[in-house]
Amino acid sequence: MKSIQRRLSLGLVAVLVVVGLLLAQALLWVFEHSLREQIEVRLKDEAESLIVAMVRGPQGFQLSEQRLSAAYKRPYSGLYFRIDFADTTWRSRSLWDSELQPGDKPGLQEGLSQGPQDQQLLTYRGDYQRFGQKLVIYVAEDYTPILKSVRNVQVIGLGLGLGALLLILILQRSIVRRAFGPLENTRKQIAQLQQGQLNELDSQVPIELEPLVEQINHLLAHTEETLRRSRNALGNLGHALKTPLAVLVNLSSRSELEAHPALRKKLEEALEQIEQRLSRELNKARLAGEALPGAHFDCAAELPGLFSTLQMIHNRGLQLDWNAPAGLRLPWDREDLLELLGNLLDNACKWADSKVQLQLSQGSDGYRLVIEDDGPGINAERREDVLNRGIRLDEQVSGHGLGLGIVRDIVDAWGGDISLGESSLGGLSVCILLPSRRLAIKAK
Amino acid sequence: MRLLLVEDHVPLADELLASLTAQGYAVDWLADGRDAVYQGASEPYDLIILDLGLPGLPGLEVLQQWRSGALATPVLILTARDSWSDRIAGLKAGADDYLSKPFHPEELQLRIQALLRRARGLANQPQLEAAGLQLDEGRQSVVCQGTEIDLTAAEFRLLRYFMMHPGKILSKSHLADHLYDGETERDSNVIEVHVNHLRRKLGREVIETRRGQGYRFGSASA
Repeated sequence: MKSIQRRLSLGLVAVLVVVGLLLAQALLWVFEHSLREQIEVRLKDEAESLIVAMVRGPQGFQLSEQRLSAAYKRPYSGLYFRIDFADTTWRSRSLWDSELQPGDKPGLQEGLSQGPQDQQLLTYRGDYQRFGQKLVIYVAEDYTPILKSVRNVQVIGLGLGLGALLLILILQRSIVRRAFGPLENTRKQIAQLQQGQLNELDSQVPIELEPLVEQINHLLAHTEETLRRSRNALGNLGHALKTPLAVLVNLSSRSELEAHPALRKKLEEALEQIEQRLSRELNKARLAGEALPGAHFDCAAELPGLFSTLQMIHNRGLQLDWNAPAGLRLPWDREDLLELLGNLLDNACKWADSKVQLQLSQGSDGYRLVIEDDGPGINAERREDVLNRGIRLDEQVSGHGLGLGIVRDIVDAWGGDISLGESSLGGLSVCILLPSRRLAIKAK
Repeated sequence: MRLLLVEDHVPLADELLASLTAQGYAVDWLADGRDAVYQGASEPYDLIILDLGLPGLPGLEVLQQWRSGALATPVLILTARDSWSDRIAGLKAGADDYLSKPFHPEELQLRIQALLRRARGLANQPQLEAAGLQLDEGRQSVVCQGTEIDLTAAEFRLLRYFMMHPGKILSKSHLADHLYDGETERDSNVIEVHVNHLRRKLGREVIETRRGQGYRFGSASA
């Protein structure tokens, strides 16, 4: 989509240019037309004064020198005449050795004719009768000075027009920018919302934007509320199912069953399957995924709690460290991220000898989370298996497979990438790349 | 060792009561959060097992009220809500460990043992050791100078309590408080009888009688 600002500018320029040119051209035409009318009147007067100057002389008709305007006598003066009789033609002296083009109809001639010394002549033709003879009088005036001044007016007008256009564009830009200020504000707030720096949009906006902002805020609140309610319902469902499951698991290890080891084994396997499936699906259903634009995870606020919980659960003197740029906020739901990091760190703590490290960093294309331990690690050829199936590699340390399965669900929901490698500490390193929100949305 | 179990699901509570009693713990059972707030703070429990989804008052609030009342008893949370945000909330409310349902009875047993030892400041050893004795909590027997000696359930309970508190003077009423649940009739003569049985099996010097004060275990090495 083009920006509204550009569209407005383009539209305004087009309208101003078309209207301006039409207006200027029309004005010029009216001006020139009235000028020509004046000239016609003058040339007609000249023609009539030529008639008057015609007298009978000793050799028939002749023009009285006294009555003839001086401009006819000076060569190339800019005023010329030509009188056509039936058998002869008179020309003014000012024409010198050039000809005045005759016209074909009486009155002012349409076009300009070529005169001496590159002059452009406007010619008037008058048909008269004098002393019983038909005669045609052409009077012409040099039109070049007027053409020149018309051209000047055009250049000046064009300059003024361009200047005005520029001024109008600048003013329009600033007016539009001011008028769009609130829109720009809202745009910025939406960006902040996506980065998890805001929870809702500012509702103090112009009335045109109010319904939009209100609707977005309403949707946000609604999504949040729906998520909260469904998480609560899932929690209740989990509670309702897992408590009887706990009874069954406890029953299966009763001493009465010791006499039937095959039966107990089958029972335990089935219960184990139910438990794993239930946990996995409930956890998956709890994920917020990309649903909440306002969600965020404040590393400095959340990680200490997570790490002391891990310290409590793995109470064997492990050295747990985390490292993140100051003020780092990840634009995802807090519970989702706690689940992701909790499961990965829990695994790392189960396998580590003495050290577990979490590194968080932000790059240009997204976020990078690296969890490392100094445990035994996983052979390169088995890493793919672990990721693909979320299998348990060691039955003695429970939950390894399940935890990775949930981690995979979360990373997939965010369009991220997970890879296993060897840690500099000697054990396994789990590296998770999460695209920043906007990129993730674009990729879809 | 006396435990409080707060769990509203009756079949699960029955199972847990049976298995915990078999492991030699004196267990009181409550199902309502409001009762738990009062009884947990007024009776001398060694450990509390708390479910979070309770009628009356949510488990987390029960825990918060105990902790704000300066109750230091270790609390093990037992819940179906196993998300990490719930675990962190549990820890912040003052829990000492977190076990999610469903769980294996052995897992619960190990967590309880570990929590009790941690609360006594004892190292995280696989077997309880004190005054040259090694207690096998699984088999409820004791190893004394390389020979394994069988114990009755009552003797095991008493010896475990002594071994958790080596070198401390423990009165008969204190022992009764921690060895019997709220329902059992208390008779201090019974404790005397069990102390004598232990002396006969392990040697007289293991438990010293302090007249007017009570008993002291492991005084020889202390």
